[in-house]
Amino acid sequence: MTDSIATAPPPTTEAAPPRRRNSKLDQWIAFWTVPFFFTLFGIVFVPLSWMMPPRSPSSSSSQIVDFMQSHNLLIACAILTLSFGLAPLSNAVYLIQIKRMSVSPVLRFSVVVGSMTGAIVGMLFPMFCFGLGAFRSGYDPSILAMLYDFGYLAYIGSLGCFCVMWMAFGLAIILDKNNVLPKWLGYYTVWQYVTELMAAPVWIFKSGPFAWNGLMTFWFAMVLYVSWQMIVYVCIYRAIKNQPDDELENA
Amino acid sequence: MTTYIRNPLTIVWALLTLITVVSWLTARGGGAEHVVNATVTVVVLLIAAVKTQLVIWHFMEVRSAALWLRVATMSWLVALFALLLSVYFLALP
Amino acid sequence: MTDVAEGPLPSIGDTPRDTKARSDFPGESSMWFFVVGDLLIFGIYFIAYVYYRGQDHDLFLQSQARLNLDIGAINTVVLLTSSLFVALGTSAARAGKTADGVRLFVIALACGAAFPLLKLFEYIPEVIAGVTPGTNLFFMYYFVMTGLHLCHVMLGLVILCFIVGNLRGSAKPNISFVETGATYWHMVDILWLILFALLYLMR
Repeated sequence: MTDSIATAPPPTTEAAPPRRRNSKLDQWIAFWTVPFFFTLFGIVFVPLSWMMPPRSPSSSSSQIVDFMQSHNLLIACAILTLSFGLAPLSNAVYLIQIKRMSVSPVLRFSVVVGSMTGAIVGMLFPMFCFGLGAFRSGYDPSILAMLYDFGYLAYIGSLGCFCVMWMAFGLAIILDKNNVLPKWLGYYTVWQYVTELMAAPVWIFKSGPFAWNGLMTFWFAMVLYVSWQMIVYVCIYRAIKNQPDDELENA
Repeated sequence: MTTYIRNPLTIVWALLTLITVVSWLTARGGGAEHVVNATVTVVVLLIAAVKTQLVIWHFMEVRSAALWLRVATMSWLVALFALLLSVYFLALP
Repeated sequence: MTDVAEGPLPSIGDTPRDTKARSDFPGESSMWFFVVGDLLIFGIYFIAYVYYRGQDHDLFLQSQARLNLDIGAINTVVLLTSSLFVALGTSAARAGKTADGVRLFVIALACGAAFPLLKLFEYIPEVIAGVTPGTNLFFMYYFVMTGLHLCHVMLGLVILCFIVGNLRGSAKPNISFVETGATYWHMVDILWLILFALLYLMR
């Protein structure tokens, strides 16, 4: 005990460097969970359960039943249930940067509300639907078909919350006088809003380019989204790195 | 007031409006029967391309902008319309 | 947009003429990023449209017959006119003729506002007649693309309002902001020019 007191850095300027190294640790931890989270999700959704790319909305009943009760979907849902809590962290990483911007708090709150609603509707609902199929056996095929539709539509068709989130985030970046994140990123974020709007037709069509697995609503949106997601995190990485320590909230 | 009427931009606008009317008449005339008509399509798409070029060049002032911007916008224009026409022709019955 | 100095700084003794010769492009670079990207994104949607049209000519042609070609054409001229006034207003503002600039932008705004109004006259009869996005693939494309474009127009009108406010409000208006907004508006015009040809005119 006395050792640690003796070796604790005295509060002088020479001792400042070790503290500076650690003062952004919380942000870095939150930041690095994100690629981990997304990679995990990528594995869960694609090679493990083949939930993504989205299966056809016009699949036959037996195909749906097989998928919903498959072993892989069970594992995928289990992982999803356990790691769902990481979603708020990835949103928090955005929010810390928005907080630094000179814009009105209303944008920050919009992002919070949008991301909360989005996580519930866009991730939790599908988790329940596919989970019900995977964890409980014996459901009627028509019920499984309904859960299948519900799950995919909640995942891909839940646009309103994400529209709000991306528009608020994009506007915040564009209007920000502190230049926390680059302006072009703001415009790039506005395109996410556009692709969300483009996804609205998935509620109507069961095949073709406007279905939930369609060219217009899914594939092209994915190209834009994946590239954006990677770029935004590179920009946030730079923003965290470049933030002067005396501006930190826990400084 | 007259400076605005004799302004080169207004002349561009007059041209744009004129060819818009031409393309509208083409659709009304040659395209009145709604059947596949390559001639009508080529005419209206080329007119659209010309209009787009005029707006980019004069209204957006790319005419006097940096070289990279001129190249980027004109390449986009050419590539887009080339692709639109190709995809159209490839699918003709 | 950030408070950038109004374009390249004029030096003492400069007449308030077009100082564009010293800048690479009008307005802020981030807006050009947006414009080029938006043109690319819409470009891909346009090509996909022509592709899907090629898969089912009859469906697309029959459906096209139900569109209101005249309103489409009038809207095209409306947007072109609005763009003209935006361009004129931008050079007026740049030349220091702020009062003229305000007047020109107000006319641009009035023209631009006619677009959504005319669109209502187009959409409402269609919907009443039972034609909705769910009717068939052509109409899905039509409503989605024109709807998305309409959102762009509404945003553009808001930006034009801010430009008018900026020109009227301050003694030294932010020319960079005016140019940036103008660039956006012209892009909206271009998108419509192509949409008009693809949805209403081509056969």
